Amino acid sequence: MGYGEKENTRSSAANNTMMEIEASKPAGNGLVPTGLSPLSETLWREKTDLEFVGDVSARLTWKDLTVMVTLSNGEPQNVLEGLTGYAEPGTFTALMGPSGSGKSTLLDALSSRLAANAFLSGAILINGRKRKLSFGTAAYVTQDDNLIGTLTVRETISYSARLRLPDKMPWSEKRALIESTIIEMGLQDCADTVIGNWHLRGISGGEKRRVSIALEILMRPRLLFLDEPTSGLDSASAFFVTQTLRGLSRDGRTVIASIHQPSSEVFELFDQLYLLSGGKTVYFGQASEAYEFFAQAGFPCPALRNPSDHFLRCINSDFDKVKATLKGSMKLRFEASDDPLEKMTTAEAIRTLIDYYRTSQYCYTAREKVEEISKVKGTVLDSGGSQASFLMQSFTLTKRSFVNMSRDFGYYWLRLVIYIVVTICIGTIYLNVGTSYTSILARGSCASFVFGFVTFMSIGGFPSFVEDMKVFQRERLNGHYGVTSFVISNTLSAMPFLILITFLAGTICYFMVRLHPGFEHYIFFVLCLYASVTVVESLMMAIASVVPNFLMGIIIGAGIQGIFMLVSGYFRLPNDIPKPVWRYPMSYISFHFWALQGQYQNDLRGLLFDSQTPGFKIPGEYILEKIFQIDVHRSKWIDLSVIFSMIVVYRIIFLIMIKINEDVTPWVRGYVARRRMQQKNVSQNKTVAPDGLTQSPSLRAYVATGTSKR
Amino acid sequence: MEIEAASGSQVGGGGGGRGTYLVWEDLTVVLPNFRNGPTKRLLNGLSGYAEPGRIMAIMGPSGSGKSTLLDSLAGRLSRNVVMTGNILFNGSKKRLDYGSVAYVTQEDVLLGTLTVRETIKYSAQLRLPTSMSKEEVNGIVEATIMEMGLLDCADRLIGNWHLRGISGGEKKRLSIALEILTRPCLLFLDEPTSGLDSASAFFVIQALRNVARDGRTVISSIHQPSSEVFALFDDLFLLSGGETVYFGEAKMAVEFFAEAGVPCPSRRNPSDHFLRCVNSDFDKVTATLKGSQRMRDVPNSADPLLNLATAEIKAMLVEKYRRSKYASRTKAKIREISAIEGHAIESKGGSQANWLKQLSTLIRRSSVNMSRDVGYYWLRIMIYIVVSICVGTIYFDVGNTYTAIFARGACGAFITGFMTFMSIGGFPSFIEEMKIFYKERLNGHYGVAVFILSNFISSFPFLVAITLSTGTITFYMVKFRKEFSHYVYFCLIIFTSISVIESLMMVVASLVPNFLMGIITGAGIIGILMMTSGFFRLLPDLPKPFWRYPISFLSYGSWAIQGSYKNDLLGLEFDPLVPGDPKLNGEFIITNMFGIKLSHSKWWDLAAIIAILVLYRVLFFIILKFKERALPLFRTFYAKKTLQQLDKRPSFRKMPSFPSKRHEVPHSLSSQEGLSSPLP
Repeated sequence: MGYGEKENTRSSAANNTMMEIEASKPAGNGLVPTGLSPLSETLWREKTDLEFVGDVSARLTWKDLTVMVTLSNGEPQNVLEGLTGYAEPGTFTALMGPSGSGKSTLLDALSSRLAANAFLSGAILINGRKRKLSFGTAAYVTQDDNLIGTLTVRETISYSARLRLPDKMPWSEKRALIESTIIEMGLQDCADTVIGNWHLRGISGGEKRRVSIALEILMRPRLLFLDEPTSGLDSASAFFVTQTLRGLSRDGRTVIASIHQPSSEVFELFDQLYLLSGGKTVYFGQASEAYEFFAQAGFPCPALRNPSDHFLRCINSDFDKVKATLKGSMKLRFEASDDPLEKMTTAEAIRTLIDYYRTSQYCYTAREKVEEISKVKGTVLDSGGSQASFLMQSFTLTKRSFVNMSRDFGYYWLRLVIYIVVTICIGTIYLNVGTSYTSILARGSCASFVFGFVTFMSIGGFPSFVEDMKVFQRERLNGHYGVTSFVISNTLSAMPFLILITFLAGTICYFMVRLHPGFEHYIFFVLCLYASVTVVESLMMAIASVVPNFLMGIIIGAGIQGIFMLVSGYFRLPNDIPKPVWRYPMSYISFHFWALQGQYQNDLRGLLFDSQTPGFKIPGEYILEKIFQIDVHRSKWIDLSVIFSMIVVYRIIFLIMIKINEDVTPWVRGYVARRRMQQKNVSQNKTVAPDGLTQSPSLRAYVATGTSKR
Repeated sequence: MEIEAASGSQVGGGGGGRGTYLVWEDLTVVLPNFRNGPTKRLLNGLSGYAEPGRIMAIMGPSGSGKSTLLDSLAGRLSRNVVMTGNILFNGSKKRLDYGSVAYVTQEDVLLGTLTVRETIKYSAQLRLPTSMSKEEVNGIVEATIMEMGLLDCADRLIGNWHLRGISGGEKKRLSIALEILTRPCLLFLDEPTSGLDSASAFFVIQALRNVARDGRTVISSIHQPSSEVFALFDDLFLLSGGETVYFGEAKMAVEFFAEAGVPCPSRRNPSDHFLRCVNSDFDKVTATLKGSQRMRDVPNSADPLLNLATAEIKAMLVEKYRRSKYASRTKAKIREISAIEGHAIESKGGSQANWLKQLSTLIRRSSVNMSRDVGYYWLRIMIYIVVSICVGTIYFDVGNTYTAIFARGACGAFITGFMTFMSIGGFPSFIEEMKIFYKERLNGHYGVAVFILSNFISSFPFLVAITLSTGTITFYMVKFRKEFSHYVYFCLIIFTSISVIESLMMVVASLVPNFLMGIITGAGIIGILMMTSGFFRLLPDLPKPFWRYPISFLSYGSWAIQGSYKNDLLGLEFDPLVPGDPKLNGEFIITNMFGIKLSHSKWWDLAAIIAILVLYRVLFFIILKFKERALPLFRTFYAKKTLQQLDKRPSFRKMPSFPSKRHEVPHSLSSQEGLSSPLP
């Protein structure tokens, strides 16, 4: 934050809030408003240079906004009905309402993140222009903080900065931006503390929420949406978060947040209040005037009450149910009170309030203001998504992922320990296996155990990978980077660990068991182990992108591996495996099959074994061909390269699955919803013009069903 | 801890009429930490009382000692802290045992597959005296459902991670309903409204208020109540840093704050205001905000809070309270109540049903749970059938050729080894059941033996189903033998193997801290058992010192494989490797090719597996008992040592309080382990 900013700060600190808001209001069209930090100015000037230098603040208006979803039976339902409102730079707008009132839907509609099966009508204008916000144009902070637990706060922000800020921006500038963001969000005290995960104690919930916000304001967006930023926080942390949001708005940003049950202190920080109930506007206007409005409508807030508690009490129809149940159980002992709500149900109260608002001066003022704002054609705001190059993104991601893997005990270190323990067990059991008659079988079963059960243990890293995926989804949703760079970075960063694990485990096993001597044989064994473990890893990734949850992932992964193992040629000899399904596609798909084919050749070829008749030696080639039924004409290196190509295939499948989830699924869902509605319209002969409904593509749909709140 | 034995009084005795007066005087709780550093005072000289027919809120910022106070009053203080001061029940001093009063914890530990009515009914049958008639029990159950306003959702499932069920508020009311079933006269609740929206929170507290109005004493800690909820409380105990900021009628608190110079603004929720005054976190927030230049737009109003640090306000309030009329009134009242010679509170916790009744109830409940939870057994049965069909087709009609010898061996090993491995799939559901057990055991609802027995009996039909489906499919598809008796033996081996794995996983579950560790440990142990079972390395070839001698004998796998080889191969003849040689008979193959001695019959192998099964179950029992008995003893010893130390050092340094870790909400299974996948 620069010197001028500080000056500004000091002078305005003396003034009261009203003056403050006046000051931060735009002085006129085409002028950069005061209160813009110099950093964000440089950043934006760069962007807007090509077009025209202008006001970079965002004025958002929405008029007669209706959102409709089709239920599973094709019945359309209005989630939002005819909402009109606006949000200006320098103000902090709070969306409030009981659960299920449409807060999140409104937020999604305004930020163009509606699910594909929701239809929107009405006008949403930004700076007077109808323009869809692409992903990342406006910042959107979701309710759950998906952060990498092993990084410190500063690291988290700095990696994010490198992922998104333009490559040509010098590092010193980037660092200044990072530091200013940390200070802005009040994170300086915990900047070098790790965020924490399930086995690491880290920063508090409020701090996590502020880190999430910090990540989003890093690109200095003019428009900031937040979904319940205070949920799950205690009063002091909630106050802190809200206070910071208010501070952000005072810099000339437009901040809109949905908030559920604010405490008294938090409520006092709101500038504008949008009160919703059942998808309809109960009140929109200055938060401080809502008190008046409720009094005028006949529901005065009693003294010593939190106004927001009172508002929600009036419009939460759940209270009707509570009262009915209490009455039903004959236990109602409400003490007499002067509360007007005692005499009427909340459903009636809501109706009264909605009707009252529709004819009130607040509604009229809001409509007028919307007209006024939407007439002014302001700057076209463009993407705030990543401006870093693909290479930079991949590099940063690889580095971040590597740091995470090396710090997360459960990701690879635990597995390394397990691998070493297991291979020592194997090593002692098959210690110095030799070339006696029984060791023929022992060598075979040793190889199958190593490639079967040892690779199986790669499943252990699944939970950590799932955590990684969550972070990916959040960042992807906000347009930080592409799927390809994620897959590449994950592959690259995992490589050193996998090499370490397999080389250590392979070496222990090879030298304890004394498999076929010779460096080339050793290298083949280790490479084959590495390839197999990586295949399992890639397979688990592909599974993670398909199955609904973690447990199912492990069960399915184990099942697939079990079947692969069964057809690998050890449990049943290759020629005995029934041809139709098991031999022909299955055993060739199984990486165990190729690993065993290669390893048997690697191990047995060229050795001589004792037979049951003394003096007569059995050559390894004979055993390969007759006992293990291995194709000796194919080189073991070909077997190995097949496994390596499987790695590539599984990674590509993973990539495709993510792409399908991202693009195809929402499209299909939207298409189905539209079709269903059209059919309904045809059958009922209603004239709801489907073209009037714009449908927005959305990534949200695929996250909403999985991780976000229910 | 043997609460079952301690009970025996009539139900419903103390409820009406007199009720329970609870008084605490000069209560101090200290967390010993004599190894390094000073001792921590969690509570510092608190005095107060609770009367029947009233509901009291214990409020304070996080870490102020709310939960500690609640725990000390309820006699649930963990044994590693030291408590001094008096707690009187109806004028007589008596330390309550764990579980002897009704205590509703913050976490709702409920079986997700039962309906609300079933949950209450089973709990009633577990705890109400056996002598009570069915109609009486039903009457109590229905009355409780009515009282807690659960009528609308009485027949709905509670819901778990894959089943959508009742709402959070309903769950909380159900938890309360379970506690008031035995009509206790004292009810403690730990943050009953956390995580609930305003309407549900209101409902919960309103229901509690009704419970109180029936002549019971209700004490609840509460965090950030909304205005409506706060208005429902009769008394308020406001804590900060382990010290009393205010104690008295909730309505008078506003006055007290006004007198003390920090009046509550009219558009504020009083409870928000109180917490704002005593929550020292706000100091930190203000400091950080000032540091980041964000305070500029905070209006310089007449709000005294912005000019004074909360630490100062708090100190002032504590001091003011000590000298106020509220404090003296409390003292007088305490003296008055202490003088009342009430009848001593009888221990009503635990169960009054006999163990047979408990067992039959538990078996019924557990069976219902298992049959409704898809993940417990049904999913596994399906997977078993699928895998059996895979195995069956791969080894279809295995025959008597030379290669079939090895194939038969591998098939047997795969079935007893890999297939039993899949028992791990039921682990999450079992862990859920263990949670219920721990909670109910803590409240003394039933004994460890009853639990283990009921679990075994109720899982029996499912294990039999798994065995029969797997055994029949594989045995007849692979065509091992023609004789029926061999089929029976084959099934018996599978059944005992699966049961052993189940028991093994139970032992693991009782030892490890979480689900993931459980799966990893379980998989590791099974892997080692499989390796030493004699299939991957022949038994005679196993290194003698460690692997052969204790491990392979302890491994159920080696017995299972020996038994199934004998069952399968004895009496069969196979083609030789080189055509024309004499046929190989089963005895030769078993002794020479598989290295198994024929010195004992296959039935002894089966007996060995059963012995291992019993061993694991006994081990499980011992571990549970040990955890229960030895750990508290250890903690008590630790605390006693501290007391001695404290005697030597009467005035220990005063330390700020810190949040109790005991009440950090244990993460639910799904959130902890990421059960919900990132992708749909």
